[in-house]
Amino acid sequence: MLKVFKYTLIDLARNRFVLGYALLMLLVAQGLFALEGDPTKALLSLVQVVMALVPLIALVFTVVYMYDTLEFTQLLAVQPMRRSAILGGQLLALAAALLLAQAIGLGLPLLVHSPTVAALVLSLSGSALVLVFAALGALIALKQREKARGVGVALAIWFLFVLVYDALLMWGMFTLSDHPIEPFVVPLAGINPIDLARIMVMLQVDLAAMMGYSGAIYKNFFGSVGGTIVAALILALWVAVPVLFAFRVFRRKDL
Amino acid sequence: MRELLILLLACLSVTHVGARTWRYRSGAGASLQTVINGTAAGDTVLVEGTVSEGSIRVDRPLVLLGGADAVIDGGGEDDALLITADHVTVKGFTIRGSRRSNLDDMSGIKVNECRGVVIEDNFLDKCFFAIYLSGVKDARVQGNTVLGEPGEEDHMANGIHLWKCSKATIRNNRIEHHRDGIYFEFVTDSHITGNTSLHNLRYGLHFMFSHRDAYEDNHFEDNGAGVAVMFSKEIAMRRNRFLANRGASAYGLLLKEINDGEIIGNTFQDNTTGIMIDGCNRINVRDNEFRLNGWALRLFANAIDCDFRGNTFAGNTFDVSTNGSLIPNTMNGNYWDRYAGYDLDRDGHGDVPHRPLGFFTLLVEMQPYAMVFSRSLFVSLLDRAERLIPSLTPESMKDDRPLMRPPVRKNRAVAVANKRLFPHSAFVIFHSSFFIPAGMGLNEKWRTSEHSVVLVHPCIFPLGGRYQDHG
Amino acid sequence: MAEARITYHGVGKRYGKLWALRKVDCAFHAGEVVMLIGPNASGKTTLVKSLLGLASPTEGHITVNGQVIGTDPAYRRSIGYMPQISQFPATLTIGQLLEMMADIRELRADEVEDSLVEELGLSAQLDKRLSTLSGGTKQKVSAVLALRSRPGILVMDEPTAGLDPVSSQRVLQRAAAVRDAGGTVLITSHLMEEVESLADRVAYLEDGNLKFLLPVQEILSSTGSTRLSEALPRMLESNALSHVL
Repeated sequence: MLKVFKYTLIDLARNRFVLGYALLMLLVAQGLFALEGDPTKALLSLVQVVMALVPLIALVFTVVYMYDTLEFTQLLAVQPMRRSAILGGQLLALAAALLLAQAIGLGLPLLVHSPTVAALVLSLSGSALVLVFAALGALIALKQREKARGVGVALAIWFLFVLVYDALLMWGMFTLSDHPIEPFVVPLAGINPIDLARIMVMLQVDLAAMMGYSGAIYKNFFGSVGGTIVAALILALWVAVPVLFAFRVFRRKDL
Repeated sequence: MRELLILLLACLSVTHVGARTWRYRSGAGASLQTVINGTAAGDTVLVEGTVSEGSIRVDRPLVLLGGADAVIDGGGEDDALLITADHVTVKGFTIRGSRRSNLDDMSGIKVNECRGVVIEDNFLDKCFFAIYLSGVKDARVQGNTVLGEPGEEDHMANGIHLWKCSKATIRNNRIEHHRDGIYFEFVTDSHITGNTSLHNLRYGLHFMFSHRDAYEDNHFEDNGAGVAVMFSKEIAMRRNRFLANRGASAYGLLLKEINDGEIIGNTFQDNTTGIMIDGCNRINVRDNEFRLNGWALRLFANAIDCDFRGNTFAGNTFDVSTNGSLIPNTMNGNYWDRYAGYDLDRDGHGDVPHRPLGFFTLLVEMQPYAMVFSRSLFVSLLDRAERLIPSLTPESMKDDRPLMRPPVRKNRAVAVANKRLFPHSAFVIFHSSFFIPAGMGLNEKWRTSEHSVVLVHPCIFPLGGRYQDHG
Repeated sequence: MAEARITYHGVGKRYGKLWALRKVDCAFHAGEVVMLIGPNASGKTTLVKSLLGLASPTEGHITVNGQVIGTDPAYRRSIGYMPQISQFPATLTIGQLLEMMADIRELRADEVEDSLVEELGLSAQLDKRLSTLSGGTKQKVSAVLALRSRPGILVMDEPTAGLDPVSSQRVLQRAAAVRDAGGTVLITSHLMEEVESLADRVAYLEDGNLKFLLPVQEILSSTGSTRLSEALPRMLESNALSHVL
């Protein structure tokens, strides 16, 4: 597995797309901090960029890379090597490359311009999103034989998580506002990894507003150590479940 | 009696025309009160050691100077130090042990019905009221450190408390863990400058029925409910910092029934509500900075003729909220970080008005749980749509000349420096963990090959851009 | 004949609703070259892929050296495979690819057979990036990869497609050498002329069925031809397929 990891990482390190991703994030982040007159505004704009762009890029890139390396995967699969070692190495390398690109593209500008707790949480949440959506991308690529359809499914999933889910949830919230919906809102929002990552950042930047409610429910739920652990666990599940399925699919997949 | 006389003569060191200096060391026989009773107006008493003989009363103009280890310990009886004469100076003491009583306002230092008192450089240690001025003119309270202890409201009183005073100066004091840090009631023509008021149970500073006062360059942080100015006229509030006042009824600054006030150059950061304006007339709000507050501004519909100019609104969850639709106030030339307009004529002002009352603000008013969607893509799309075609937000609330860039302020981002809790190392450690596997994977041979690994090349590090000034 | 090296026991493979391979029973032995022929989509590639572990049989099983192949990948250590089309990581050079594959197979330096690199004229191109190579050169690289671990089982999918005649001959000579050293060689090919001199037996597949697996001599004698390329069409026309294995 380490060997596959090593060589896939070498391949990825020279991949134009990964470099492009690092540069794009760097450009966006640097640009926001340089152009926006205000560092707080830059950080908050970056939050929105990260929450939308990072999942999209992780998802689409992973899907495309998995398709593009299919022949090489085939070459690896006829070697005396377990399927699980091949996929494991590839996924680890993908995760490492994307996280590395993100460290440069996002972590570095944040470090330079805004070394706050909020920025650190943004970095962490962004990294979690990379892992979640790379895992989903891998599963899509393995389940779907056709590249075009795979990319289509990836885009649909991204759209669902980034926009549709929230729209539906909010619609439901206002439609059912006569009912005691409170206990469901937080868990339902917490299921969506993008929402969850956003809430973790929000607890830093919108904390003051959230303390405004006597119930202070979000603060109590997510802000506590227990809540943070629960959030981390949910995100970990979002990584683990697709990865497990990917391994199951790949073990018996016809290449 | 003869011994006492000898002692007094021994204490007598310097003689001026009509003013003597007495040197008193506790434990040397006589009590401090006896010494004071033997002084004449204008004398100086230099005190050393711990005086614990109950309440000390100063009833003539005196200078009380605390020596190196001077402590006045009231021993839990009444006020530790009671001043009832004009022109008394108390300087350099540690004062403690006032009785804790709500019935008769027991204090560390109580000053009653006089003028020209100076209370300077004292340390008030866990007193009930710490410094209590009642009916005092021309008082100066300066450089004191006033520390209470955390507790319940019933057992706590105010740090610096003024009642029916005028022309007082409260300067460079530090007050922590009292009920209200500084309390003014019926106090006129006074100045509060350069004080730090932290962790107080209720308000960092509290005005009631006080007029023509100014407070400037103070620092208020983490007080239960912030700063409250109520039922007062002509209060000037300049260059203060209102930080981290969080809670359901916490405000950076709460204004209730205030006329003709001005709020200029202050910083409001991390407060649940930056400023709450309720029933006020003619308030001039200029050049303030509202940063990372829950609601930067809550403007009740009963506020009239308030004028907002040159303020910076950045990173607030909600910039403005209100409870009415007719807003008889003006907003002009503020910086709003949510402004999405353009400036074609390059005059520094956006060409289309900004409506600071967002759609999402209204949604959250209707359904607090919608808060969970803050800063989501969906909400920002909704907000943008609403700003283009206003349907629910009041038409009259708008800034016709929003600034394109935040106005430059000298003490800008002071508060941000306090937020710098995480050192760079936390970032570096977190992100460098990604470099380790990469380094593992790329051994020397591969790295030096024709197409070297550009990812780890340092040339793509900072591309320029502005470094933020945290000064 | 020598002992059976590879045995298919009722192997069938279904993709969706389509059976690509139906209940194939056969054996390939040490020291022989078997040519797999048949029309497009007749199941040749599936037959080979299920041996390589690229496709898992829907039914039946395959043994290699007496061991049923399953999840343990160790048996592939003895297999060299030259795929029909090879796509390599675009960012590597030929040299890096060879080094990497040796590293992945954990070959020691003395186990590597590199004379083919020289013979196919690749030595001067070791620093070329794989993304810049022509199809023919990629085939050469593929051949080198398949042969350099001195495999006991050599599987080649259309080895001569895209190769120049000289290189084709050299690659086929190497295949013959594997057989002569006691190995088993499976070649799928459309171009019978090039391979027929090499083949010991011919397997013919159609619609996923193994129609026959016969020694070349038997085919020639039963049809009275001297060349396989003449004999096979005649054999198929005459429906002389009564003895399907």
